[in-house]
Amino acid sequence: MSDPRLEKVQRKTRRRLVFTAIHLVLYFTFTLNWTHLGEALAGPVGGGLLSGAIVMFIVLVLTFIGLEFLFLALDKRQGES
Amino acid sequence: MNLCTLKIMLSAAFALLTNASWAAGSIDGEVTQQAVNSTAIIMFIVFVVLTLLITWRAARATTSSASFYNAGGKITGLQNGAAIAGDFMSAASFLGITGLMFVAGFDALILSLGAFGAWPVLMFMFAKRVRNLGSYTFVDVVSQRLDKDRIRLVAALGTIAVVVLYLIAQMVGAGKLIQLLFGLPYEYAVAIVSALVLAYVAFGGMLATTWVQIIKAILLLGGVTLMAILILAKFGFSVDALLQEAVAQHPKGDAILSAGVAFNDPIQVATIQVSMLFGTLGLPHILMRLFTVPNMRQAKLSAFYASLFMGYFYLVLLIIGFGSIALLYGNAEFFTTDGQLIGGTNMVAIHIASAVGGDVLTGFMSAVSFATILAVVAGLTVSGAAAISHDLYAEVLKQGKPDSKAELRLTRIAVFVIGIMAVLLGIAFEKENVAFIAVMPMVMAASVTFPILLLSLFWSGLTTRGAIAGALTGLVASVVLIVLGPQVWVSVLGNAEPLFPYNYPALFTMPLAFAVIIAGSIFDRSERGEIDRQNYHDLLIRSELGET
Repeated sequence: MSDPRLEKVQRKTRRRLVFTAIHLVLYFTFTLNWTHLGEALAGPVGGGLLSGAIVMFIVLVLTFIGLEFLFLALDKRQGES
Repeated sequence: MNLCTLKIMLSAAFALLTNASWAAGSIDGEVTQQAVNSTAIIMFIVFVVLTLLITWRAARATTSSASFYNAGGKITGLQNGAAIAGDFMSAASFLGITGLMFVAGFDALILSLGAFGAWPVLMFMFAKRVRNLGSYTFVDVVSQRLDKDRIRLVAALGTIAVVVLYLIAQMVGAGKLIQLLFGLPYEYAVAIVSALVLAYVAFGGMLATTWVQIIKAILLLGGVTLMAILILAKFGFSVDALLQEAVAQHPKGDAILSAGVAFNDPIQVATIQVSMLFGTLGLPHILMRLFTVPNMRQAKLSAFYASLFMGYFYLVLLIIGFGSIALLYGNAEFFTTDGQLIGGTNMVAIHIASAVGGDVLTGFMSAVSFATILAVVAGLTVSGAAAISHDLYAEVLKQGKPDSKAELRLTRIAVFVIGIMAVLLGIAFEKENVAFIAVMPMVMAASVTFPILLLSLFWSGLTTRGAIAGALTGLVASVVLIVLGPQVWVSVLGNAEPLFPYNYPALFTMPLAFAVIIAGSIFDRSERGEIDRQNYHDLLIRSELGET
């Protein structure tokens, strides 16, 4: 590991993999709605009719966008642009 | 409409739903030609005139094969993100997911999340590296460290197979959709789509295609936003009141607010998720868009903006879907006397536009749906033409030293051939059940192109022999399992039970392709295999830092 460029690339690769792993875990968590664990999300959240399952969908979409924003911000902070 | 007829309608819709063909882009099943919709036709003509003017301007800038393939690399990240969204937010997404929500409520969101889930991964893993390594197509990327001729041949043929299958599904879907929306005969619809796409692509190349996709994305996002506002206005801008009415109207009651109305097997859900996410990441016409921007930063921004647009779109569809349940069920205006929804479930989005916005909004959304098909087919045509003229002719036949005029000429000839082929295939497959054809490109992309792309960028051990063995395994396994699955074995061949239970086999075929690629590469002791491994270091540095 004498090449500093390689170290930099490996650091960036690790970050890519971490973000992707978080994304994929969250993405496939949605499948839990179709298992018995999903029953916990079937009921309404708060005082209204909005179910936990629908809230989960909305939160996932917003979280994915948030993750991308964070990823871009980290890249920018390191002066990559 | 009584409960009995509603049940019949729901069972028919579920039969379509199990095909899950919406996700991959087809409008399936028998359709009835509707009355001519003159408002929609006028609005569509306005769209066509505008886009042809843009094509005319773009044609002057498209003077070389390079500008044809990547619009000169001058598209900004924002523009490209809008174009990617315009390419991917198909009529299937808008009409299909809304129709599925009307029938099954929450369960339709698996298709929304599946369609959305790929974009963050595209940004995290691929946008920068693909942009840095390729010039015009994803095949450029995978051929960087492997034996160029062999891998180009396999990857380009894979691209052409995916594009042709996707094209068939789109053309058959387009013909049926336009029958529904505009009241035009099927053959006319297919011919119009092909003629317009030929005009855009043959003369304006990627630049015209990009602008068609951007305009379509703006119109679609504007249209769904207006629809959502009008729907919410009917309920005093209260989401709770909207859901309350939806639950009261739907025969399944509050079951539509959670999982289980349409799907009850988590494995089935996972097969859809895997196919949609990894299939999207392997679609050549989507990856090709990353080369239209000037640098890696803009490539990442493209993926980010595409996510923003699509995330917004699928959130708004939530309101439109539940709005359609609340406002259409129980409204006799949208049902035939025997209780069937007029035009079938693919017309739900158009009916809800009519319910909240009258003829003008109906015409507008119909025109947008037509524009949507043009944008998708245009993207596919550019990608197919580039696979033929760039990947096969310029890089394999001419070993990277083609005559540029001859290459551009061949590109335009390829566009015409694809256009004519699209019409012929569209007409040939009119009466066929195309659900399996719509599924194939996504499964093949997940099992053939995606594994090669991922491992060529992230695994030093990949060799040409392993890549080719895995790609062929993924291809054969995809075709075999789709044939043995419900869509061909039962729906097309008429057997009682499928030999393989799932419509989307990528959950099984993709890991198999990965396993064969990895095993084939590890056991590859050839001289070429050693060169492939040694090439990785330079490729890695170049892909991340843009230097060698």
